[in-house]
Amino acid sequence: MKSFCFVVLFIFISGFTQCSANQIDRQNEDRIVFQKENDNIENEFEEFADEFEAEEKTSDPFASYNRAMTRFNDGMYEYVLKPVAKRYDQAVSLQVQESIRNFFNNIYFPVRFVNNLLQGKFSHTAQETQRFFINSTMGILGFFDPAKNYFKIEAHEEDFGQTLGFYGIKSGPHIVLPLLGPSNLRDTISLYPDALLSPLDYTERSYPTLTDTWAEFISAKSLEEINRISLDMENYEKMKKDAVDLYPYLKDAYEQYRKKQIEE
Amino acid sequence: MRGLYKKFLLFFLVAFMAQNAAANEQVQLQNRFLKKIDEVVLIVEDKKLSKDIRNRNIVKALTPMFDFELMAKLSLGNVWKELSSKDAKKFVDLYVERMKNSYSAKIDAYEGEKVQIKKIEQPKSDRIAFVTDLTGKENRLEIVYKFYRPKIKISGKDEWLIYDVEILGVSILKTDRAQFREFLQTKSINELMDVLAKQL
Repeated sequence: MKSFCFVVLFIFISGFTQCSANQIDRQNEDRIVFQKENDNIENEFEEFADEFEAEEKTSDPFASYNRAMTRFNDGMYEYVLKPVAKRYDQAVSLQVQESIRNFFNNIYFPVRFVNNLLQGKFSHTAQETQRFFINSTMGILGFFDPAKNYFKIEAHEEDFGQTLGFYGIKSGPHIVLPLLGPSNLRDTISLYPDALLSPLDYTERSYPTLTDTWAEFISAKSLEEINRISLDMENYEKMKKDAVDLYPYLKDAYEQYRKKQIEE
Repeated sequence: MRGLYKKFLLFFLVAFMAQNAAANEQVQLQNRFLKKIDEVVLIVEDKKLSKDIRNRNIVKALTPMFDFELMAKLSLGNVWKELSSKDAKKFVDLYVERMKNSYSAKIDAYEGEKVQIKKIEQPKSDRIAFVTDLTGKENRLEIVYKFYRPKIKISGKDEWLIYDVEILGVSILKTDRAQFREFLQTKSINELMDVLAKQL
């Protein structure tokens, strides 16, 4: 009981003394607050610096090539792909566009299956398999996505770049690829094993693929790309509006996005 | 022995209260955040308003929750400290304006989408992050709102303020830092401000 009274008394006294101290200092309040605010900004600035400066020292040996390729890609987008995609968008209804996207997503199942498996994500592998069977049958060759819409089974995007990242392989220098856009050494090399798993191909394979010749391959890929651009046009435009300098902006956004994908 | 028991009791009481206070803080902030989202959704869905007025109202509703000024300073990194006070003020004004425009344009597109908090992280006592899902008809977008609590409350602002937003793992502030840094390696701060002014 004694100690309790002491605590109450202590709180009361400290509150009281603070009150009177405040009264005494009232004349100087403005000056003190101003100084405190300045100190505060300085301190907070330092605190945040730790959070943001840790990952910022990356080397960029291909910077001048990358800049040129970013300009080329952006030009291609503005003057070739966007006008074509706009025409396509006027001719093809949104529902059909979404079905075409579903179809392409569905046939890339082997890529997602193998990479989920390689990362030991067994439940995701099982879910991807379920999705493929449901969408290929009930979803009529993958044109619809009943797996997600009715069975609530989400897709689990994984590619070989993510698999390498999962096992601790660093991204390496940033490389901007013609037409494909931002990438890095790890992800560029990973395109090859993923292409082997893709049913869209033009080389001689021991297993059946959807395309056999260059012409078929290019047509299918073009349809996929134009369809994708038509659906995503707004997003790229919106992103571009925030860019002061397009190359470092896209580079940083890509590397952050991939890092997040790998962590998941 | 009794003294020791009392000390233990006091220690646990303090620890419990501290933990409780932290949980309380999170709940309070969560409520305020969700209320704010509802407020913004009402504005977005109000078809009677013109687009300009709608965007202005969105910005007005969100401003007390964002520390755009801190974001402006952080976006420049160490360059910020070297600016003259005139340039510093001009830069902050431009950046804040750009941020407001960019954010209201983005949020305006999200009609009929739902925001759900799926995880709350508190890495430090004065930092809270809300990991949210923005669910639309077609896709789901993970957006992280990062809050901090200024040591002295800023007048006209909330107690907890957003200093960064991550969309699908991409931090707005980090991309700005990256592009401003590279821009300033070859060009001056005045040129940067000219580009920002043109974007408005």
